[in-house]
Amino acid sequence: MTKLEKAYLAVNNIDRIRRRTDSSPVILLVTIIYLIAVLSVPVDRPQGIVWLAAYPVIASEMQGIGYGKVFVKSIWILPLLVIIGVFNPIFDKVTVLHIGSLAVNRGWLTFISIIFRGLLSFQAVILMILTTGFIDIFNMMRKVGFPSVLCTQMLLSYRYLFVILEEAIVMKRAREARGYGRKAYPFSMWGRFIGQLLMKSTRRATGIHRAMMARGFSGTLPLGAKYSWNKRSWIWLISWTAVIALLRFMDFSKIITEIIVR
Amino acid sequence: MSHHFVKYTNVHYRYEDGTEALKGVDFKVTHGERVALLGLNGSGKSTLLLLTDALLFPSEGEVNVGDVPVTKKTAETIRRSVGFVFQDPDDMLFMPSIYDDVAFGPRNMNLPEQEVERRVNKSLQEVGLKGMEEKSAYQLSGGQRRSAAIACVLSMEPDILLLDEPSANLDARARRSLIELLKGFKHTIILATHDLEMAEELCERTVILSEGVVAFDGNTSQIFSDPEILKNVGLL
Repeated sequence: MTKLEKAYLAVNNIDRIRRRTDSSPVILLVTIIYLIAVLSVPVDRPQGIVWLAAYPVIASEMQGIGYGKVFVKSIWILPLLVIIGVFNPIFDKVTVLHIGSLAVNRGWLTFISIIFRGLLSFQAVILMILTTGFIDIFNMMRKVGFPSVLCTQMLLSYRYLFVILEEAIVMKRAREARGYGRKAYPFSMWGRFIGQLLMKSTRRATGIHRAMMARGFSGTLPLGAKYSWNKRSWIWLISWTAVIALLRFMDFSKIITEIIVR
Repeated sequence: MSHHFVKYTNVHYRYEDGTEALKGVDFKVTHGERVALLGLNGSGKSTLLLLTDALLFPSEGEVNVGDVPVTKKTAETIRRSVGFVFQDPDDMLFMPSIYDDVAFGPRNMNLPEQEVERRVNKSLQEVGLKGMEEKSAYQLSGGQRRSAAIACVLSMEPDILLLDEPSANLDARARRSLIELLKGFKHTIILATHDLEMAEELCERTVILSEGVVAFDGNTSQIFSDPEILKNVGLL
């Protein structure tokens, strides 16, 4: 199985295994609260974010996913975060603290802060996807008041990714079957490959759209997931909101330092 | 039993690139009839089926499903009673699991989830895919995908079933199962196919399209007893 096929199945599995059990918008709400908490920490206070790492660690372990898996997947976002923050140390040279004789400027602090914020936010989203699946997330977004049109658009875009992937797998197989081991192709050929891929996927998307229309699709994707909001959901929401608020507003570093000093 | 018929009156269809797929098709399929639609590639079979399910609309002439003319306004009503099995089953299987694919139509009909589940289970049972609910289409064989596509339509319990080359890419066993399955469908069937034996076994009546017009309309047994009919339209 090629990497492309493995990737296809891995993403597909997330939604397939969700089955038709009851799901609750609580995970979406907790994730939104967590993202607000992470993003509300001032960018020049990276120490304020460190304790918020407890949420993805504890929640992923509680859900039986394992933090290691979430962390490894979150590393993919690192290059983007580096690009976003890399100019801060260069342009913001105001010294804000000394570590021994080493002067640390604000640019470095904000750079570290961006990396942390980005990683933790991405980890929370990954955790939500792994526990819930894309389709339920979009469905829950609809449930908690996001515009239906927007949710359907997102869902269809998500499904379109599969169409592109499927066509890419077929084209890759066809290329390999006649490539006789050749790995590298000139840049111009890749351009044609991508063009063909888009045309093929558009044709498939037209067919799929027709098949959807034939079965009564009228603009809103029916998902049929059952939703529950019960006592357990409230407990889960209130507990995590309290924990996240504590992690956000309590200065645990200071408390621990004071305990040690005493 | 439904009392739906399908009537084509001087139906023309021209694609945007100027290709005239249908050039005045006239015939009527009565309630409960099984009609084979034969013809070479590009003869207009698929176009005619798309028009019947209100996925295309005639450039000229009229298609009626029961008393309802096929128009943009009546499209939803038409699609509730007409089930269309597409030529490429992959077009019909786009959800993460086979269950969700088969449930897609009934859910669009706003049926209660319990009824959706009943219909999905029944349809999957009928096509021999019980136990495959949680698989994705990607994990099924070609024949299984075809069966899943048929289940997608059966779950909508249509009055009229349109099938576009349903036996394409099927092995002998899957083809036989499909024929037996369709024999059990008591409502109207319009079957576009290149599979002459399947047409003979399933359909009492055959309409042959050639270059967008009806070249033959009569008993299926007649075309097998008179090979000239098939020869004239290039099918032999």
